[in-house]
Amino acid sequence: MLTIEHVSKTFNTPGGQVQALKDVSLSVNTGEFVSIIGKSGSGKSTLLSILGALDNPSTGSIVVDDTQINKLSGAKQTQYRAKQIGFVFQQYNLVPNLTALENVMLALEFGGYPAISRFDRATQLLESVGIEEDQRQRRPTRLSGGQQQRVSIARALANQPAYILADEPTGNLDSATGKKIFDLLHDLSRSQKTTIIVVTHDLEIAGKTDKTFILKDGKITTK
Amino acid sequence: MNVLTRGVKNAIRSPLKSGAIVLMFAISIALILSMLVARGSVLSKIEEVKATAGTAVTIQPAGVMGNMGGGDPLTAAQIATITSTTNVTSISSTLTDQLGTDDTNLTSSLELGSFGQRQQRFESSDTTGTTETTDTEATTRPAPTPRTTVTGTTDVNSIATDGGDLTIRSGEAFDGSSSDNVALVGSDLATKNSLSVGSTFTAYGETITVKGIYTTGNAFQDSGIIMPIATLQALTDQAGAVSSVTATINSSDNVASTVTALKTSLGEDADITSEAESAASSVKSLQGIASLTTAGVIAAAAAGALIIVLSMFLVVRERRREIGVIKAIGGSNGKVIGQFIIEGLTITIIGAVIGLVLGVLVSGPMTTSLVSSSANSTSTTETTAVGPGGQGGRGMGGPGAAFNQGAAQLNTNLTQVTASLTPQIFAAAVGITLLIALLGSAIPAWLTARIRPAEVLRTE
Repeated sequence: MLTIEHVSKTFNTPGGQVQALKDVSLSVNTGEFVSIIGKSGSGKSTLLSILGALDNPSTGSIVVDDTQINKLSGAKQTQYRAKQIGFVFQQYNLVPNLTALENVMLALEFGGYPAISRFDRATQLLESVGIEEDQRQRRPTRLSGGQQQRVSIARALANQPAYILADEPTGNLDSATGKKIFDLLHDLSRSQKTTIIVVTHDLEIAGKTDKTFILKDGKITTK
Repeated sequence: MNVLTRGVKNAIRSPLKSGAIVLMFAISIALILSMLVARGSVLSKIEEVKATAGTAVTIQPAGVMGNMGGGDPLTAAQIATITSTTNVTSISSTLTDQLGTDDTNLTSSLELGSFGQRQQRFESSDTTGTTETTDTEATTRPAPTPRTTVTGTTDVNSIATDGGDLTIRSGEAFDGSSSDNVALVGSDLATKNSLSVGSTFTAYGETITVKGIYTTGNAFQDSGIIMPIATLQALTDQAGAVSSVTATINSSDNVASTVTALKTSLGEDADITSEAESAASSVKSLQGIASLTTAGVIAAAAAGALIIVLSMFLVVRERRREIGVIKAIGGSNGKVIGQFIIEGLTITIIGAVIGLVLGVLVSGPMTTSLVSSSANSTSTTETTAVGPGGQGGRGMGGPGAAFNQGAAQLNTNLTQVTASLTPQIFAAAVGITLLIALLGSAIPAWLTARIRPAEVLRTE
């Protein structure tokens, strides 16, 4: 169970203070597939960063399975990200100097997975997301957008996280590939009971999720 | 794949960029090593020059050099003052005089030559004793004749020109403290006058017995006579008079203070010189080079550090997003910093190895170049070439000859600095390099590790 209560986030910019989130409260049940939609600049990515402990809220609390993560130390938040959260980014954000296999193994290393089993585990994950054998030793620049996003999803799944946070996962893909990626995430949600929170502006995708939150000018409403 | 392999792999991910950094760093390391080697060589040479400078101090009456100049010989009281000065362990005294044709039955083995004639031109006019010189009187002056130098000494070895013992070709040396009418005769003079051990000759109206024949290889010295100083003092009616004293100091560390003490006690009546003082002025240029090389080491190390710090700073800045991603997926600050330290160390070690090899190759010629150019500037004015039979005007002899030889040896030593790469110098270069690498990688990585991943990802 993930609960956000009265979360606000203010940024200091050269042009003055900007309030990205205003008293946001929501809750997501374990195993739910949830979407957050809103226009550009509505605060979607900020909310996702706070959920993933990449950033702390200015006020309010985020409670994940009885733990208030915004009160954790930096090191504990890193552990939380490594073991409980899997990130999928719009730009894929694979490490460019590492192969597809090494990118997945990197996440396994951070999650404390035994070194001896990382190769097998990474191979199995890449296979499960449809990355073929000859593509596993390629660096990201030699993979298509869809393939990179699949590797990114395999990396997010590496440590069997309770939550997958996806920021516009299909935003850089054509509609056919985007649909395949969405289906992949959807299947994961169903088969492994992983809670998935997807930020998107694609209403079609949002329509297929269990729950959708609309974010407008930093405030949230349940659809 | 772990932090170590990721760091190494990252170091070579952009060969052109890494190559440029490695090359710049290698040059600075080569400079550091060269400067360290040059400094080490110069410092050891300074120590060597100081060590070989000896502990001899020469005291001569003010205004006197050999038989030239004016002033009075040193007195018995001044000799006693020198002997009783702290740190003076022993002294050898010398008195020199010249035998003219009226003083001896010996014929000088030196050809007067144009140089000798010029030196005697004043004395020829003095002997006329006239107040009004006419052309007629000038033509009646006696033709100048070469003279024979006689040296009275307490230590016959003080005549040796090589700084060692005098070479006695036949016979034996006399007791320096005796007052017998005995003498050692230079080989050239002995040949000219058919003298051998046991022969006699006349000087100052007394009969002198030849005790030995010596040779120095110096035409002037080999045309002279050596006597016990007491004998010469008695023959020339100069009781207790001394024209030069060589005092031996107990330690090279005490030479400077003893010279100061002697200058204070003898005042303006004596000129005091020491090899150590001469050496000190000789090594000044080397000390200048040592300071220069120290500054060079610091400058090259600073340049090397700056190259690594700036390069790593740019590398880290360029990979901010990658660092953000690593942290987002659970990489700790320690792993991020560790990865960049390994990357920096890899570049540094490759650069250092190339730089050290380069440094070993260039340090020798660089050191030789630095020292020989400096030695040239100091030795050009000090090198002396003396024609056969001529030395210090008409009659400089005694300890002065040995002193000149020692000074010449010191100057020779200055040019013999060779580049030596000791393990200590090598270790110092490696230590400086590693320190630069650690600082250069850790500082930028540490700065980036403080950034929250959301800030990096937000700007994508």
